[in-house]
Amino acid sequence: MNLALFIPELALVATAVIVILLDLLTEQKRLLAQVSISGLVVAGGVTVAMWGHNFPTIFNNMLAVDNFALFFKMLFLGVAFLVILSSVDYVIKFARFQGEYYALVLLATLGMMLMAATTNLIAIYIAIELTSISLYALVGFLKDAKSTEASLKYLLLGAVASAVLLYGMALIFGFTGKTNLHDIAQSIQALSPPTLFASPALILGIVLLVAGFGFKIAAVPFQMWVPDVYEGAPTPITAYLSVASKAAGFAIILRVFFSAFGQPDWLSQNWGLIFAGLAVISMTLGNIMAIPQSNIKRLLGYSSIAQAGYLMVGLAALGVSPVGDILGQSGVLFFLASYVFTNMGAFIAVIAISGKLNSDLIDDYAGMGKRAPLLALALTLCLISLIGMPPAAGFMAKFYIFSAAVQHDLLWLVVIAVLNSVISAYYYLRVVKVMWLGQAASQEKVPSSAALRLALVLSCLGVLLLGIIPGYMMRLAELAARIFIP
Amino acid sequence: MLANYGYIGLFLIAALLFTLLMVTIPIALRFLRIVPDKPNPIKNSIFECGMETIGKTWVRFNIHYYYYALIFLALDVLVVFLYPWAVNLRELGGSGFIIILVLMAIVLVGFSYAWKKRVLEWK
Amino acid sequence: MGSGYLTTILFLPAVGAALIAFALAGRPRLIKWTAAIFTAIPLILAIVLFVQFDRSPEAAGLIQFEEKVLWIAALNANYHLGVDGLSLPLTLLTAFLGFLAVLISWKIDLRVREYFAWLLLLETSILGVFLSLDLLLFFIMWEIEVIPMYFLINIWGSGRKEYSAIKYVVYTLFGSAFMLAGILSIYFTTGSLNMVEIAQGGLAMVQTALPAAAIFWLLLIGFAVKLPVFPLHTWLPDAHTDAPTAVSVMLAGVLIKMGGYGMLRLCVSLFPEVAKGYALLLVILAVVNVLYGAAVTMRQTDFKRLIAYSSISHMGYVLLGIFALGQLSMVGATLQMFSHGLVTGLLFAMVGLVMHNAHERDLRQLGGLARQIPIIAVVFSIAGLASLGLPTTSGFAAEFLVFVGSFSSTIVPGIQVYTILGVLGVVVTAGYILWMLQRAFYGPVLERYNGTPDADILERVYMFAFVAVIMLVGIYPAILTDVIKLGISPIVGLLGG
Repeated sequence: MNLALFIPELALVATAVIVILLDLLTEQKRLLAQVSISGLVVAGGVTVAMWGHNFPTIFNNMLAVDNFALFFKMLFLGVAFLVILSSVDYVIKFARFQGEYYALVLLATLGMMLMAATTNLIAIYIAIELTSISLYALVGFLKDAKSTEASLKYLLLGAVASAVLLYGMALIFGFTGKTNLHDIAQSIQALSPPTLFASPALILGIVLLVAGFGFKIAAVPFQMWVPDVYEGAPTPITAYLSVASKAAGFAIILRVFFSAFGQPDWLSQNWGLIFAGLAVISMTLGNIMAIPQSNIKRLLGYSSIAQAGYLMVGLAALGVSPVGDILGQSGVLFFLASYVFTNMGAFIAVIAISGKLNSDLIDDYAGMGKRAPLLALALTLCLISLIGMPPAAGFMAKFYIFSAAVQHDLLWLVVIAVLNSVISAYYYLRVVKVMWLGQAASQEKVPSSAALRLALVLSCLGVLLLGIIPGYMMRLAELAARIFIP
Repeated sequence: MLANYGYIGLFLIAALLFTLLMVTIPIALRFLRIVPDKPNPIKNSIFECGMETIGKTWVRFNIHYYYYALIFLALDVLVVFLYPWAVNLRELGGSGFIIILVLMAIVLVGFSYAWKKRVLEWK
Repeated sequence: MGSGYLTTILFLPAVGAALIAFALAGRPRLIKWTAAIFTAIPLILAIVLFVQFDRSPEAAGLIQFEEKVLWIAALNANYHLGVDGLSLPLTLLTAFLGFLAVLISWKIDLRVREYFAWLLLLETSILGVFLSLDLLLFFIMWEIEVIPMYFLINIWGSGRKEYSAIKYVVYTLFGSAFMLAGILSIYFTTGSLNMVEIAQGGLAMVQTALPAAAIFWLLLIGFAVKLPVFPLHTWLPDAHTDAPTAVSVMLAGVLIKMGGYGMLRLCVSLFPEVAKGYALLLVILAVVNVLYGAAVTMRQTDFKRLIAYSSISHMGYVLLGIFALGQLSMVGATLQMFSHGLVTGLLFAMVGLVMHNAHERDLRQLGGLARQIPIIAVVFSIAGLASLGLPTTSGFAAEFLVFVGSFSSTIVPGIQVYTILGVLGVVVTAGYILWMLQRAFYGPVLERYNGTPDADILERVYMFAFVAVIMLVGIYPAILTDVIKLGISPIVGLLGG
């Protein structure tokens, strides 16, 4: 066992512990943010340095240290970095528990990093719980009625989802007698097709896994928690939930479904079709429900459901594609990377604007084009990217992921998806319209702190770079997806 | 494979039947008038360790109990890890010792956190 | 000329837009001059390009001034620009109208900075559509155009501007949704995004995943929305009517030409066999477009709406010319796109002037303006006559070519009947144009329009520019048709004669 390969995670644990201790000793709460960020930078630096090497698995085949895991680790560390940067001024709202806030963010990040790396059902469950429990607490941090309700709702539904997931894992374990994903794959492949057909346990197990993970990625019909939780949670945590938590869910789906159930072909085609169906209802319902929303956080919540739908188009593509074709996988990875920048950017702008207005209502954003031109411009860019229009990253992401689907005869799914993008343009542009055309309630400028501006600039830069010269990130995604070539 | 699940099913049915049987026996005996029906206040009173209960059972516990319970839980988990380590002390050697120290340090951080947050003070 | 020439033309307006948006806040005069300079230079460069273009017969079908840089390795996408006989006239037209649109907007004083930034960005994206030879780049440019248009209509428009703006966006995105699916299908059938390569290789014929006809229709829907083809046209009157003057000029002048260009460049070039199969259906649609558009135009009482509807009718000729699939008819269709861009551009500019100066757009309220504003009336009449296809104007040359070409085309059975039906449209056009001129400018002089200002110097300058080019093309159409033929002949070759 080589602990050196575990340094990024250890660095995060250490940082979290230090933050908690420091919180007890100092009154300078800004210091906590600085410590957290330096911890993230160290972890990120080590992760980047580990990229590209062919490391063995660690902890008795529990954790993989492959490019796929590293890609997601970088993503999560990046998101955590942006979240903490955008929280610096937000946490002043909390009278107490600032240190705990940062520590919990770090621990949730740790859980997600483990989620991306685990190759074992039990470890997957533990990683998911570590993430979820941290997030339950974070969602309730505002301690007002809405936030508490959101937290409780998230906790209860999350517990149900965990139970479903565990049940699914138990069935699969009962069927194969293994918890390691590769062992599971081997024992499934060793069976003859008629045996597989005759075993409802395996199919039920897979369906339950889809349901459990579906909760994480907020796919319809496991999305009930999304609007309330997104609205009630502190905005940086909403951003974190919508971006990192979702990405972690996809990371784990990619690994589990490909490693364990990628073979035989008829099996993967079947779950591919399950995801295609989920994609269609997620996109459609997410987009349609978003149209009447008047609260920007709820709107972005529904929009994130729709985005999960687009991402599942990629999952469907990789389900139906033959082994060795990784366009679907790398498409999902690239989409996630662009989604991270886009949604973070949108939420950071919302944090900045709503923090000043003390309101999340879209109507109150009227005249932002005058009051805060740069914030409005950034939010506009991110919304355009969410629609999937060039020159923003969202376009390239959709192009990439849809091209994977078209290649494998899922043109019908792509047509539904692009038509959904058209629907989505309607409500995204409504926000844009209000900001640039609405009559401002006051002429007062909306200031933003340096930390927020830095976070916003970084995200917008990401959105533009991935939109105009996406080649580099596509290459990274492709390298990360290489692990799926057996 | 499926046969094994079948045994579990059989076991489940047997368990259900047994439970039902246990419930129906006293009722059946009563019906058959084997058991005499002679109620009196003492017979119907709540029986708890031979003492009469005082006050309502819906008592609110002080929130501090939960804090203690949580801290106890952390200690409990620590002990769960300490026992196997102690049993295999020699085999695990120096690295095991260091790891257990790290674990204790982490739990200690939790305790000092609780202490500093005045969880242990009883007001 | 070395490479980078087209890039310069393409991105100068965008650079100007960035400069205006981020560096020149609060200095409206400077902003206007910057906008003028950053559109004038591309115009001059485009004229030089036009002059330098190799017109020798050997250059037929060759891409000139080609630029190709690997852009996204993972998708095999290139930053690939180039002009041929098909795209050159439209590029020139875009540069020309882009510059004039800035002049036309000179009197804008609401949120000047944003206005000119969006206007210049719009020009870049339209130029990009005509110049790019890579499907992905083409699609990106096609999509980018939506955003400036949305803002331009929504902020500086009039009437039901918010409704029109979102309608425009939804229609366009609806069309491009299908187009994207089509482009992806082409990409996976051929493994290439290079338009020229796909067309030359005839690769689109070896279909496996999807019948070629399906891809053809996916693409065609995208272009049909833009052109617009009946019954996908309903966004056009709203958007044209409610947009600010200069934007109407751009919209009618070049934006809807993107549809015709796309049909020629992608639908017909990549799928010649399929195009032949469906040509009859599309020709019928074209005739419906011509007659329906003209009939609806007759009913309009709003000045601007009338011209907007007339565009539908005129675009019917383009569709007719393209899907008659004859060399002459396609040349005519391209010339008609160019000519319509100029003529309708001028008409919209004139309507804008009348509306601005007389504060009235209802034809029933107007009358006798020729006395008060003689210059506008004269130029308006010239534009109107060009629109109905009077000889010596570009409209005549274009429509004549379309009709002769279609009539003599051998590919579509029974084309003669449809051509004659289409010619009937000209009669109706003459009807509504003359009726409109009569209503607005002639008849009894109305007291309330006394003191209406006539065109000022700046306005006379751009009017003159418009009229000069219309006349030039009308009298000497070969200046363009020589070029266009070079672009059309390889398509004709693909069609097999």
